[in-house]
Amino acid sequence: MSDRGGLNRREILQKCLALGSMTLIASSDSAAMLLAFEGKELRKPTPANELGPFYKKRAPETAMLRAAGDPGMPLSVSGQILDTRGEKLPDVVVEVWQTDHLGHYDLDGYRYRAKLPADSSGNYKFESVMPGHYPDRVCQHIHYLVTAPGHKPLVTQLYFATDPVFEGDPDKNFNRDPLIHSRELVRPVMLVGDPKDIHAAVSFELCLERV
Amino acid sequence: MWRALAVIAVTLSLAPVLFAEKLHLEKTISLPGDVVVRFTAISPAGTFVAGICRDQKLRLWDASSGSLSRTLDLAGEKLTTARFSDNGQLLALGGAGGRVRIWELPSATLKLDFSAPNSINALTISSDRKLLAAAPLEEGAEIWDLSSAKQVAKMRAPFSGTSALAFSPDGRWLATADGDTSIRLYDARTGMLRNSTDDLLLESFAIVFSTDGKYLLTGGADKVINVIDASNGKVLRALAKQDDALLDLRQSRDGKLLAAAYVNADDPSKPAPVVIWDLETRSPRTRILEPGVAPNGGEFLSDGRLLMTSGSEKELKIWSVGP
Repeated sequence: MSDRGGLNRREILQKCLALGSMTLIASSDSAAMLLAFEGKELRKPTPANELGPFYKKRAPETAMLRAAGDPGMPLSVSGQILDTRGEKLPDVVVEVWQTDHLGHYDLDGYRYRAKLPADSSGNYKFESVMPGHYPDRVCQHIHYLVTAPGHKPLVTQLYFATDPVFEGDPDKNFNRDPLIHSRELVRPVMLVGDPKDIHAAVSFELCLERV
Repeated sequence: MWRALAVIAVTLSLAPVLFAEKLHLEKTISLPGDVVVRFTAISPAGTFVAGICRDQKLRLWDASSGSLSRTLDLAGEKLTTARFSDNGQLLALGGAGGRVRIWELPSATLKLDFSAPNSINALTISSDRKLLAAAPLEEGAEIWDLSSAKQVAKMRAPFSGTSALAFSPDGRWLATADGDTSIRLYDARTGMLRNSTDDLLLESFAIVFSTDGKYLLTGGADKVINVIDASNGKVLRALAKQDDALLDLRQSRDGKLLAAAYVNADDPSKPAPVVIWDLETRSPRTRILEPGVAPNGGEFLSDGRLLMTSGSEKELKIWSVGP
């Protein structure tokens, strides 16, 4: 930035501070103070996790990632999108991408890639299949890129507690995948539906941090 | 990004398919029993091969004799990237803990040592050896002045940082290949954005300037080499699409050839070629895919040869392609 022509922004801020007319508090600190005043605690933002090499821009807007007849276990993923004060965030852009049930990413097209339709109530949901194991990764996973005005973009991944890699004990074994730094990214999997039409359901809450 | 794939490049296996030039074995370096070379950096001057080893040491071999010249102890930090200056006199090293060091060769004098906030994805040194650019994971790229050892610019971080970097031949511009799939061009002295290429849908893992500084050549998950007008960021053309994702690029000094290392995106442990492109005809000239050769580094030398290394647990081989 240029300092030419009058006071620059830093000088104005310094003068305001000297006059006592302004107090600088980081946004998360002020949010924490407000919540403390209200007797609440700040939520932890969803842990970030690597973007991975295969993010693709301009994914189609749809909540249905699987096509009729696609092989693999049908999967429903849903959750709330909150800020660290626990308030639902409407109109958040959620992009997801994953492998097919055999562990292949579609780099030429947009199979198993989507920008989820905006939800004014702060919820999201999509239908897919349980991803396979990508050969270069240990665990099955779904990538997320979540953006909302005034909040830090969240790049993370969802993992499944039923992944055979965890041998039934994700608490103990989650870090068998060196990219999983947080247990909370490994979510329980419910099997729902009648025996002829069983599918997996996962809930994954997303919490975004203010800029 | 290619952060994950880079490790896999070590395991690629290669078989000749198309040969305008032959692959010559230049040297075989026997390694002590406990030494495994993860990847190498090769001096464009043809003087040294730097082996980044699993025991957290860097070994410098004389490229012509194959003799061990020096061993640098990296104090336990795992290296993620290494790059020589064009004249081979500087070697930049970046680590998983964010530490960046530049050594002056052949004296092995530490010239610059700083810590970035995260693991280093990529490093590059300007041709005039005045500037260094570093790309920490998830962070904005940083530019450092090598004479004052001070940071001169820090770019705003795209949402997943920068995967690859290149200075223009005159050192005026820095190009970044970013996790959000954009290619950005910055003033290297101020960090001001000059232009941005936002038309690419998938991330680029490699980027170089043409030798005249007019074009950027990039490639990555889209399996093509894109030619971008550096003055306005427009994609002018793409070279023929290959079967594999592009992992790394090196350009010959005369600007006529481009070596592209590929990786099988469906299964990075499967073989993928190194292709030498003729930039005048815009077609592949040599395709290297040879059993038993697992390349873990490569560089064009000033004499026009492409030098490559391949490793196993017991030896490091130095190969050459070209005149």
